[in-house]
Amino acid sequence: MRKNLIVTIFVLLIAAMALSACGQASATTEAAPATVEPDAPAATASLAPGSVQINGAGATFPLPVYTAWTYAYQYVDPSVAINYQGIGSGGGKKGIIDNTIDFAGSDSLLSEEDYTNGGDLQMYPMLAGAVVPVYNISFAKAAPDGTTLPALVLDRQTLVDIYNGVVNKWNDAKIVALNPGLDGYLPDATITAVHRSDGSGTTEIFTKALTSFSPDWTAGGASSVEWPVDKAGNGMGGKGNQGVAAAVISTPNSIGYVELSYAISNKMSMVSLVNKAGTTVVANADSVASDMSDFANAFDAKLTATIVDGGGTNSWPITGYTYIILHTTSMTDCVKAQKIVEFLKWALTDEAAGKQAAGLGYSVLPAAIRDQVLAKLGEVTCSGTPVLK
Amino acid sequence: MEKSLKTNKQKFKRLEKMIEHGDRPWQGLLIIIAISVILLMAAIGYMLWKDSSQSRVLFGIRFLLPTSDPSWDPVNDDFQAWPFIFGTLLTSLAAIVIALPISLGIGIFLAELCPHWLRTPLNWLVELLAAIPSVIYGLWGIFVFLPKVVAPVGAGLATTFANIPILDQLFKGPMPASGSSRLAASLILTIMIIPTISAISRDVFLAIPASQREAALALGATRWEMIYQVLIPYGLSGILGALILGLGRALGETMAVTMVIGNSIESSVSLLRPGYTMASIIANEFAEAVSKLHSSSLIEIGLVLFFLTLLLNSLARLLVWNVARKTRMEVRA
Repeated sequence: MRKNLIVTIFVLLIAAMALSACGQASATTEAAPATVEPDAPAATASLAPGSVQINGAGATFPLPVYTAWTYAYQYVDPSVAINYQGIGSGGGKKGIIDNTIDFAGSDSLLSEEDYTNGGDLQMYPMLAGAVVPVYNISFAKAAPDGTTLPALVLDRQTLVDIYNGVVNKWNDAKIVALNPGLDGYLPDATITAVHRSDGSGTTEIFTKALTSFSPDWTAGGASSVEWPVDKAGNGMGGKGNQGVAAAVISTPNSIGYVELSYAISNKMSMVSLVNKAGTTVVANADSVASDMSDFANAFDAKLTATIVDGGGTNSWPITGYTYIILHTTSMTDCVKAQKIVEFLKWALTDEAAGKQAAGLGYSVLPAAIRDQVLAKLGEVTCSGTPVLK
Repeated sequence: MEKSLKTNKQKFKRLEKMIEHGDRPWQGLLIIIAISVILLMAAIGYMLWKDSSQSRVLFGIRFLLPTSDPSWDPVNDDFQAWPFIFGTLLTSLAAIVIALPISLGIGIFLAELCPHWLRTPLNWLVELLAAIPSVIYGLWGIFVFLPKVVAPVGAGLATTFANIPILDQLFKGPMPASGSSRLAASLILTIMIIPTISAISRDVFLAIPASQREAALALGATRWEMIYQVLIPYGLSGILGALILGLGRALGETMAVTMVIGNSIESSVSLLRPGYTMASIIANEFAEAVSKLHSSSLIEIGLVLFFLTLLLNSLARLLVWNVARKTRMEVRA
C-alpha cells in the first residue's frame, strides 16, 4: 500500500515537472516570432494553404453572398481561409469592438459610443439590398380565363397607413384609386400586416423608409420597433424572412415585407411602389442601383449613408447598404490585415464576385460609390504602413 | 533535519490513512459536483441581476405591473414586460389544464388497461414524442396544425362563448386566418408536455403495489372505482411531480411557441388573438437589440422568467409536501 503511494506521488511529481517544462518551451517558441515580426508582410508569398485564418461574424442578410465569396476566394488566394458566421449585426458589432473577430458584417450603423469603445472602427458599404412588400390577397372574383391580374400598386403614404392600421381594408378608397386594374377584385377584407418579430436589418431598412415616406409614421426606424398595427389588432410577427413569408402565404389578405432575394426565390407577389418622383417602380437590381446613385455624394466621413426614398425617376425607395466593419489602424497581425483588405478589394472589384452577388439578388455598388469605398480601404494601416499596395 | 523528516513521515501516514479506502476523496468529489450546481444557479442569477440593473433602476416596478396599454418601444427606449409575462402564464396554464386529463388517461391506460401486445409500442411512441425537437413541432404547427385544426377550432370557440360573461373575453375573436394565436401556442405546448406527464404518471401507477389493487377489488370495487379511489389518491404526489416537470417545460419553451404565437404585443386577453411570451421576446430581439437599455430590459425579462420558474417550482413542491402529509401513511406512494 505504502509503496504504491510513494510511487504514485513520484510519478505525479515527474509529470508536474514535465508539464512545467512544456509550458516554458511553448512560451519561448511563442516569443520567438514576435521579435522578427512587424515589417514582414513581404514573406507572404510562400504561405501554406489555409494558413491565414480570418474570422468574421455579423449580419445574416449578406450571409449567402459572403459564404459564396469566401468559398470562391479559396481559389484566388489558397493561403486564406475565411470563416463568416451569421450571428446578427448586433453580435458582429460587439465582436469587432471586443476584438474577438477580425471583421464584422452589419446592416445597422455604429453608434457614437461604439466608435469611442472600438477606437479606430470604419464601416465600408459592400452591397445594397432591397426590401419589398409582398402580399396575399383572396380576390373577390377570379380573373377572366387566360389573363392575370396586374401587380398591386401602393404609394408611400398608403404603405405607411397600412402599417399604422389606418387603412385596414383591401377595398379602401386609397388602394382602389391606385389600382384601377384591380377595380372590383379587391375584397372587403381586413388587412393583416405581417412584420418581423426578431430584430433585423430588414426591419431597420423598412422602418427607416416608412419614416422618410410620411410624418404619420411615428414608431421610428430601428431593427425592432413598436408596431402601431399590432396595437390596432391587425398585426402579426414572423421570425425571420421565412417566418414572414410563411405567415403571408398562410394568411389570406395579408401583406408583409421580405428581402428582395427572398421574395424572388419564393415567387411571391410583390408590390409595385410609387416612388418619390411619382414613378411606379418594381424592385430589381436596376431600381436599387438607381437609388444608390441618388445618394452617391451622401457619404459622411465614416462612409455611411441612409439611402431610403431616393429622388431618382427609377429608384426603388426601400433600400439599404450592408457594411463590413474593420479596425483601421490597430490590427496587430499585418499578414492577416493585408489578406482581409485584399479579399474585400477582390469582392468589390472582381467581375465574377459581382455576378455571384447579383445572382443571389443583391445589388453591387455603382462605380462611383465603389471607388470611394476602395479609397477608404487604401487608408487601412498596420504598424503605421498601408496594408494595400 | 532528522526531526522534520520524522514529522513528515507522520503526516504522510495520516494522509495515507485518509485516502486509503477512497471514501474521503470520493465524498469530496461529490460535494464539489453538488456545490457546483448551486454555484451555477447563483452565477446565472447574479449575471441576470447585474446586467439588468439599468432597466431595473430606470423602470422600477412599472416594468412588471399589469397594464392595458403596454409599451415595448425600442426606438424611444420605453419598456414594459407585462404582455410577455401574461402571455407566458396564460399559454402555460392553458397547456397544463388541457394536458393533465389527457396525460392521466394515457398513463392509466398504459399501466392498467392496455393489452400486452400494444403496451411496448405505445410506451415507445409516447417516449419518442418527448424526444422530438421543438422546432419540428413549430414547423408542423405552421404548415399543418394551425390551418387544419387551430383555425377552425378557434372560430368555433369564438361563436360558442360569444355571449357568456367572462369566457367571452377569453375567447374573443376574430382569430387570425392563419391560426397564429395564444391558443395555438397552448395547444402546441400541450402536445409537447403530454409525453412527459403521461410517462411519469404511468411509472407512478406501475409502482403502486398490486396488493392495493387486489384489496380494492376484493372489497367489491369496480375497475373504475379502483382507479379513481385508490390509484389516483395513492399516486397523487407523483402525479403532481409530473405536472411540475410539464409546467417547467411549458414555461421555458421558446422555439415552437415563437413560431406559432404570432409575436404581436396586444392588450387583449383573448386566447384567440396573437400574443407574445417572455422566452420568445428574448429569442427574437436579443441578438439585434437596438440600445443598451433594450438589451438590459430583455435581460430583466430573463430574470423575471428565472424567478417565476423558481417560484412556481417551489409552490408546486410545497403542494406535493402538503398532499404527501395529508395522505394517510398506509396509502402513500
